[in-house]
Amino acid sequence: MKSIGARLALWYAAASTVTLACLFLVGYYLLRGYLIHGLDLLNQSEFEQIKARLGPDYSALSSAVIDQRIRETTEYASVLFYIDIHSRDTGTIFYSSNLKGRPIPDIKGARRYDVDWDVGPLRVGEFIMAPYDVAIATPEAQVEGVMEGYAGVCAALLILMLAMSAAIGLGLSRLALRPVRLIRATASRIGSENLSERIPVPAVADEISDLARLLNAMFDRLEASFKNVRRFAADASHELKTPLSLVRLHAEKLLAGGTLNHENEEGMQTLLEELTRVNSTIDELLFLSRAESRSITLELAPHDPADILANFNVDAQVLAEHHGVHFPYSHEGSGQALCEPRWVRRVLLNLLSNAINASPPGGNIRLRSRLTGELWRVEIEDEGAGVPSSEYEHIFDRFVRLKSKDRQRLEGSGLGLAICRGIIELHKGRILAETGSNGRALRVVFEIPAQPPPPRAPSLTPDELAPATSR
Amino acid sequence: MKILIVEDERKLGLLLKQGLSEAAYGVTLAATCAAARDALCETSFDAIVLDLGLPDGDGLELLRQWRRSGFNEPVIILSARDAVQDRIKGLDFGADDYLPKPFSLQELLARLRSLLRRQASVKDTVLEHRGMRLDLVGRTLHFNGQPVDLTNREFALLEIFMQNPGRILPRTLICEKVWSSPYDVDANLLDVYMSKLRSRLETGGDKPLFKTVRGVGYKLQ
Repeated sequence: MKSIGARLALWYAAASTVTLACLFLVGYYLLRGYLIHGLDLLNQSEFEQIKARLGPDYSALSSAVIDQRIRETTEYASVLFYIDIHSRDTGTIFYSSNLKGRPIPDIKGARRYDVDWDVGPLRVGEFIMAPYDVAIATPEAQVEGVMEGYAGVCAALLILMLAMSAAIGLGLSRLALRPVRLIRATASRIGSENLSERIPVPAVADEISDLARLLNAMFDRLEASFKNVRRFAADASHELKTPLSLVRLHAEKLLAGGTLNHENEEGMQTLLEELTRVNSTIDELLFLSRAESRSITLELAPHDPADILANFNVDAQVLAEHHGVHFPYSHEGSGQALCEPRWVRRVLLNLLSNAINASPPGGNIRLRSRLTGELWRVEIEDEGAGVPSSEYEHIFDRFVRLKSKDRQRLEGSGLGLAICRGIIELHKGRILAETGSNGRALRVVFEIPAQPPPPRAPSLTPDELAPATSR
Repeated sequence: MKILIVEDERKLGLLLKQGLSEAAYGVTLAATCAAARDALCETSFDAIVLDLGLPDGDGLELLRQWRRSGFNEPVIILSARDAVQDRIKGLDFGADDYLPKPFSLQELLARLRSLLRRQASVKDTVLEHRGMRLDLVGRTLHFNGQPVDLTNREFALLEIFMQNPGRILPRTLICEKVWSSPYDVDANLLDVYMSKLRSRLETGGDKPLFKTVRGVGYKLQ
């Protein structure tokens, strides 16, 4: 069972029902013993009555007198009692008529015992009235009847108990698990945007509040490390970029002064170009560290991928034409993807640049985009030499440069694909590399969650659509 | 034209002051929030260049105070924080532009000019330069009297140059105006468009129309 609440309720119901069943069992034996004891007392009082009827000089009476006296005393109770009086020397003195001439079975050494008779179980009491032994038996049928009733009532109560304790257990476990649900709700709410939120800790010191405190301590550490990353990014920005500004402004000043010879001017220009590259590498690294610590929040909103792609295509065609490759693209499906278009555009541009670098002259770079109900999937495939499939996992790591085998050159800072992954993950999507359709080239695929299109308004018939005047 | 520079890094502040002075701006330098407040009380400025990390407070807070108390001089924020959120926050707080460090002096000058022009609110609808006639309303270009077809991107690109003839335009500034994103620089998209524009408009005469300024950007001469 998945829910702890249900399991607890089940355990609770089982434990309370079994306990009650044990109590009922003990009660059964106690009650039966008590009722049997009652039968013994009945036998005893019957014996006392017989003894009183026979008088103190019973040993002198003849057997016929004894028989007659006892019958007078006991015949009215013949259904209730079986009486058997016998002497060890002379044998049977008296049988009650309901015994129909058969003796009550004797168990040697026992004074009170149960026997199974053809009329049902009997409770027998043996009494001494020297020189006679008197055996008096009472049917146990009534006791058995009471016990059957008792068992029936108990069974009904047990079923009721099971149902009630299951219901109570469910209620109790919900009550007991409420702090846990609160913890879960809070913990799932805490994200990079509200890291300072904490789980409310109940005033009492129990296991749940311990857990809450433990989780809060974990969130403290998490928040501290997030803050560290953010502070590092801010510090690194400031400490690196202010001196870079100085270097840049100085170099520009020297260039603008016009006092440099040609060679120095070249050198200074190279320095400016390198400075730009260093700066963009710093920006990219900072972006990655922020993205990995989730301290960037994108404004994800529904946008139509068709618009994003059309806008991108304008520039993509120009880039492709310039580099002598073809860029056919297709898009199917309607609806909206949850994204921030300028970041998606950056991913598309990065992937296109990579594909252009890998493509042979005149090659095709195909972009296939498809929007289904819940996913926007984009594939970009080139006709280059591809990447060994063992590298597919690593090409999205930092500083991994894709070597294009055709031209044997290295491109970019080696952060492009890492940034693509960072951006796609911020969109709650995923990006991966595959082998292209020719079994060789590289295909990069990314997927971003989409919003299903809103339910269409009930379609109108052509009649309804036609303006009223045309009728 | 008087500019107030609020920058705590002394060397950078002096360098900026010198650069802007050479471009014929009158420059006052303040190194702290307090000094900036004093300067702004004493005299009025045409524009303010504001660094965010100041020793006695945050530049953004200073900006907010100014805007609340009715100062509406154009403000350019200089910042090492380049996160998009910071940029948006700066603009929300009433900044007119945001320039991430490290920046080029040309870029600062170009942005200042653009701000001051916006302030003057004089905008020509027809721009002319070396035989080119760019009609911003009709969105047409005539070159030596002949109409030239331009794509939207090419038109936007040319418009920026025609509004700043003879001035170096930094790459990030151009990209931001045309693609509203400074990141496209990575893809060399700008260079590709520039080469298209050149092949359309340059006649192979004595002086090329567009000059490449390495490490900085382009200039319409």
